Amino acid sequence: MALNLLPYPPCTLSSPPQSYSSSSATSSVPFTRYASPSNSLLFTLTATRPLPFRTNHARRHLTPLSASLSTFDSPSTSGSHGKKKLLLEVKDLTAVIAESGKEILKGVNLSVYEGEVHAVMGKNGSGKSTFAKVLVGHPDYEVTGGSVVFKGENLLEMEAEERSLAGLFMSFQSPIEIPGVSNIDFLNMAYNARRRKLNLPELGPIEFYAYIFPKLDLVNMKTDFLNRNVNEGFSGGERKRNEILQLAVLGADLSILDEIDSGLDVDALRDVAKAVNSLLTTQNSVLMITHYQRLIEFIKPAYIHIMEDGKIVKTGDISIAKILEKGGFKAIS
Amino acid sequence: MAALAFTPHIHRPPTPSPSTPRIPKPIARHKTERRVSVQTSASLQTSFSDPFVLQLAEALEDSLPSSSSSSSVSLPLQNLRDNSSETLLSTPWPSRKDEPFRYTDTSFIKSSQVQPVSHPPQSLSISSDTQFPNFVIADGFAVNSVSDLSGLPNEVFVGNLLDISSESILKRVSEFVSKGSEGDLFWSINGIGAPDLTVVYVPAGCIVENPIHLRYFSIEGGEEGSSKLPISNPRVFVFVEKGGEIGIIEEFLGGDGNKSYWANAVLEVVVEEGGKVRHSYIQKQSFSAAHIKWTSVRQESNSTYELVEVSTGGRLSRHNLHITQLGPDTVTELSTFHLAVSDQTQDLHSKLVLDHPRGYSRQLHKCIVSHSLGQAVFDGNIKVNRYAQQTDAGQLTRSLLLEPRATVNVKPNLQIIADDVKCSHGAAISDLEETQLFYFRARGIDAETARKALVLSFGAEVIQQLPYPSVRKEIETHFKELLEPAIKASS
Ligand SMILES: Nc1ncnc2c1ncn2[C@@H]1O[C@H](COP(=O)(O)OP(=O)(O)OP(=O)(O)O)[C@@H](O)[C@H]1O
Ligand SMILES: [Mg+2]
Repeated sequence: MALNLLPYPPCTLSSPPQSYSSSSATSSVPFTRYASPSNSLLFTLTATRPLPFRTNHARRHLTPLSASLSTFDSPSTSGSHGKKKLLLEVKDLTAVIAESGKEILKGVNLSVYEGEVHAVMGKNGSGKSTFAKVLVGHPDYEVTGGSVVFKGENLLEMEAEERSLAGLFMSFQSPIEIPGVSNIDFLNMAYNARRRKLNLPELGPIEFYAYIFPKLDLVNMKTDFLNRNVNEGFSGGERKRNEILQLAVLGADLSILDEIDSGLDVDALRDVAKAVNSLLTTQNSVLMITHYQRLIEFIKPAYIHIMEDGKIVKTGDISIAKILEKGGFKAIS
Repeated sequence: MAALAFTPHIHRPPTPSPSTPRIPKPIARHKTERRVSVQTSASLQTSFSDPFVLQLAEALEDSLPSSSSSSSVSLPLQNLRDNSSETLLSTPWPSRKDEPFRYTDTSFIKSSQVQPVSHPPQSLSISSDTQFPNFVIADGFAVNSVSDLSGLPNEVFVGNLLDISSESILKRVSEFVSKGSEGDLFWSINGIGAPDLTVVYVPAGCIVENPIHLRYFSIEGGEEGSSKLPISNPRVFVFVEKGGEIGIIEEFLGGDGNKSYWANAVLEVVVEEGGKVRHSYIQKQSFSAAHIKWTSVRQESNSTYELVEVSTGGRLSRHNLHITQLGPDTVTELSTFHLAVSDQTQDLHSKLVLDHPRGYSRQLHKCIVSHSLGQAVFDGNIKVNRYAQQTDAGQLTRSLLLEPRATVNVKPNLQIIADDVKCSHGAAISDLEETQLFYFRARGIDAETARKALVLSFGAEVIQQLPYPSVRKEIETHFKELLEPAIKASS
């Protein structure tokens, strides 16, 4: 009788033992907990220090950097800040990797005035990207000391989105893909976030399209990139162009460009550099991170900083880049 | 005669004593020789039959007007009923001890008053919000009066088995109906309870431009919170001959309110050589409903079967998807998306068997659970057998849990017996990706807006694959509406 006892219906879907599949056959996956991140939507725009100067950045946002009229007069020869306003002031900034507590930034000092172009160079792993990401509030890092003042405000107390709305932009060294979100929707959302902050009506998709269309030419991008998902399947060069397109659409007082030249062919490099130049005005500033002389020749920074092991160890003018190109990092240390 | 109430807690007798053999009352009145022999030879086995299952089977048989006069039942349907009752005798109601139901609790069905719906709805007002030729099945009954088949080529047949006038079509269909299936108890319950068989027939070489939209409505239902659970058993057979092509949109809808009912549907698909079926399956049942669905597909050589599924409804929703590649160079693409925004279970059990050279398959399963009592279950089996050389099989599942205690149980598994194959495979359970969220915030978009966009995009990857813009749009809106409160609450 026991022979006929069938504990299961005959057609159960049990896995035969010979399955030598991959990591698979996890019969269950433990609960995963969703932790809501702190999500303060309040703009903490109250200045924590007395404003050293008055900016009218609200007006500037109304006219995001226009694509035309790039009469950027390079201050590269002067080297003196004159009466220009201080835009970014970084003092003794130290930061660790949030997860491991490992210190990457070990006391960075840097000041950027309005209208200036700065470059940061340095060996792989010296902390350039980390510095850039810490400035824009990347959650992978934790600031452990020092201060950062941007347009008179304590940048370190602001949420990442507030930093962006305040006029800080960083183009990522490796922009990530966002599957399922189209490029134009993404840009529209970002642009509308700025409009909201300025108490302006948001733009619908059609109005926005009209606004963005002329900007495509600037970065030499085809219209169909707008309908593709953000960076999905984009080549390395296309991703960089897309970052610059975002900059052109949103505008910024300080643009941090992390290796916009890497992975670009010669023509693309010229396009991107041209686009950046055309976005420059006498008021906004650029902090570019690069390994190459080429971009420096195109964009002509007034100052070049050398970063080493989480610190800026040397600052000079464009001639540093030439020395670097010839003799490598040991030639300047 | 129909409305039979079941006692809530019937258990399978653990060890039946030999002295009290429980021989169930014969299910069918039109006993056949075979039936009798099964009963005698398997008397031991039948003595373990599940009383609940037997009562259900009886009630289903009683509810069918045709079972008393077998003359009005066509042969394929009769065979289906006979086979189903036979299987049913030895199949108990599933428990969590059975592997296929390990994470899927069906006990609420068992503790409800299951009542077969014995007649089509008296009145049916259906908005015709579809631009496609469509066929309405309400409570398991085809309703020709509200269906609209204009726009289909003449040689294509969509309708009930009973209405097939062409001998040759009937003959061809009979060859295939419920042959070689490996269904479970629910498959058999449907086989007994289906009032008729709806057939979609596409003759050889016929490429049908418009998809056929099958709209399944559940009209009968208990009020929210009641234990009434009317069951309906729609059954559809899609038969695409050599080189034929058609799109099938299956849409399951509840009536007004959160009624409780049980839709127990079966779809069988046969795609002959070089044929193609694009299947869109949309499940929007009431949150009090049980929805158990079988999709069984047999694909001959060179054929293509593409499925895009979006399931959002049901208190319990289970999709059993079995696909067999019966010849070489066969393509199978499955994209499924399950959403659990309430106290509900969304379950996909899929099985794909590749038995022949140069098969190609892609499977993407995604689910979002945004309720602390919500659950998603995925058991995805892909079997690449010895002769399936140069097969390219990929399987990926991703789950997004938006609430503490939201649960997902996934078991993707690729069994590879052939050696010259290319298979990829992966499973990920995640919160929203921190790096993606940051990308938005770095561009000034607040975390809440970013989160919403990311959650929507997670489902969009599957929804975007629905081949018809109108259907896609409707589902996108539905998805957004369902998620709106969840996104707010979780941020
Ligand atoms: N999130 C992180 N997790 C672990 N290590 C990190 C992380 N971010 C940075 N690091 C480490 O910190 C160091 C500095 O990295 P960073 O990306 O800032 O260098 P970099 O100067 O930009 O280099 P490159 O020129 O190659 O871009 C490296 O050793 C890197 O591995
Ligand atoms: Mg770097």
